[in-house]
Amino acid sequence: MAHQGRILGIGPTDNTSDQRTPRQGLRLIPEAARDSFVPVVPARYGTTPHEWDMTRTASDRPRADGVPIEVTGRVRTASGRPVAGALLEVWSANHYGRYRHVEDHSGLQLDENHLGVGRVLTDDEGNYRFWAISPGAYLARPDIGRWRPKHIHMSVSGGSSRLITQMYFPDEPNNAADPMAILMGDAFERNIGKARDAAETDVEEAYDFDIVVGGHNATFFE
Amino acid sequence: MSDQASNLLPATNEDTCGPYFPINFADPKLEDLTCIDPGLVGQAAGVPIILRGRVLDRHGDLANGAILEFWQANARGLYRTPQTQGHSDIDPWFHGYGRLRTASGAYEFRTILPGAADGRAPNITITLFSDGISRIVTQVFFDDQAGNDSDPVLQAVGDDAPKLIARHDGHTATGAEVYLFDIIMAGDGETPFFDDLES
Repeated sequence: MAHQGRILGIGPTDNTSDQRTPRQGLRLIPEAARDSFVPVVPARYGTTPHEWDMTRTASDRPRADGVPIEVTGRVRTASGRPVAGALLEVWSANHYGRYRHVEDHSGLQLDENHLGVGRVLTDDEGNYRFWAISPGAYLARPDIGRWRPKHIHMSVSGGSSRLITQMYFPDEPNNAADPMAILMGDAFERNIGKARDAAETDVEEAYDFDIVVGGHNATFFE
Repeated sequence: MSDQASNLLPATNEDTCGPYFPINFADPKLEDLTCIDPGLVGQAAGVPIILRGRVLDRHGDLANGAILEFWQANARGLYRTPQTQGHSDIDPWFHGYGRLRTASGAYEFRTILPGAADGRAPNITITLFSDGISRIVTQVFFDDQAGNDSDPVLQAVGDDAPKLIARHDGHTATGAEVYLFDIIMAGDGETPFFDDLES
C-alpha cells in the first residue's frame, strides 16, 4: 500500500474548524528526520496542592454549584507503558456552561466558587485523580441550535508523550451531533468516561477515564 | 505491520483544545529559552534569536487563542533527550522545549539559533493546537543556512520549501537576530504540515 499523509477532517457545523483545518494532505516525514519531530518535554512543571480539587477555588472555600465528580484513570502509551510523572492540565466549564476565561463572552452565569482549571501529575504507575464540577453543556451555535455536550478538557505532557483531548460523559443527548465526535466516528467511545461507584469519596459521581497516548495524532481516516 | 499494530492499545482520540486553554497555565520560562530562569544565572550558548510571526486562518485572519509548542536542538545541534543524557555537547542551560499561547494570533518566541543536527539544516519543530483542529505539526528553517539545500524535510516538500523558511529581518538593540515566520493554517499559501508519529 502506498503511504500517504492523511487529509484532516473538518468538523461539520464548526466554523473555526472550517477556517483552520489544513486543506492539503499532510506530508510524510522523511525517515532521516523522524526523531527530530518528537519533542521531549522537560519535567519542570509545578502544581499546587489544592489544584486536584476543582470543586472549590481554595480548600477553605465552599463547593461550587452543581454535581461534584471524581475523575480517575491511567495514562499509558499504545504499547502499554505507564506515562509516569506526566503533567495533566485540566479545564472545564462550570455548572452553567461558562468558563472563567477572559475570552468567554457567552454571558452565561459565573460561579464565585468555581475556577475550572487545575493541574495534577501522574504517579509512577501513570495514575491520576482529580475532582471537578460536572460541567454544563452550552449552546455553541445559537443560529442552528447546536450544543457542545458536557466535556472536560485535558492536556497530557510527559517525556515524549503529548496529547490534548476531551473527556465526554455517557448517554448525553448532545454527544451524537458534536462535530469532533462525528469526526471520531466509532472511536468516540474511547473518549467517554466510564461511570463507576463514587464509593465513600465526598463526590456524587465518579468516572474512570484511561488515556492512551499514541498512534497518529487522531484516529480519523486511518 | 498489521500484526504488530493489533497489539497496540487503541489511542485516545485527540480533540480540539477549544478557545479557552487556561491563560494561567502559561509559563514565561517556556517562552524564552535563552536563559534557564530570569532569576538565575544560566545563559544558553548560541546566537539569541526572536522568532516572530502570525498564525493565520483560511481567510488570512489571525487565529486567536492558538497554542504553539517548540522543540529544537541546542547551539551544537544536539537534542536533549533520554538518549543524549551525559553527552558532552549537552548545554546544561538549555532543554529545547518551548510553549506559548497567543491571544491575538501573533506570536514571538525567544530562543537561540539551533545548531545543525547530523544530516539536517537548523530547524525548530512547531506543534500548533487551536480551537477547531487537533494538533498540526511543521518545522521552520532559517534563511541563508548552508544545509537548507540538502535537508531531507525541505527536499521532501519540493517547491513548497520557501514556505518553511523564516526570513531574517535584522536584529534588536540587544543583539538578538530577528526571524519572521507566518503559519498559514489553511487555504492560499498554506504551510506544509506533517503527518504525526507515535508520540
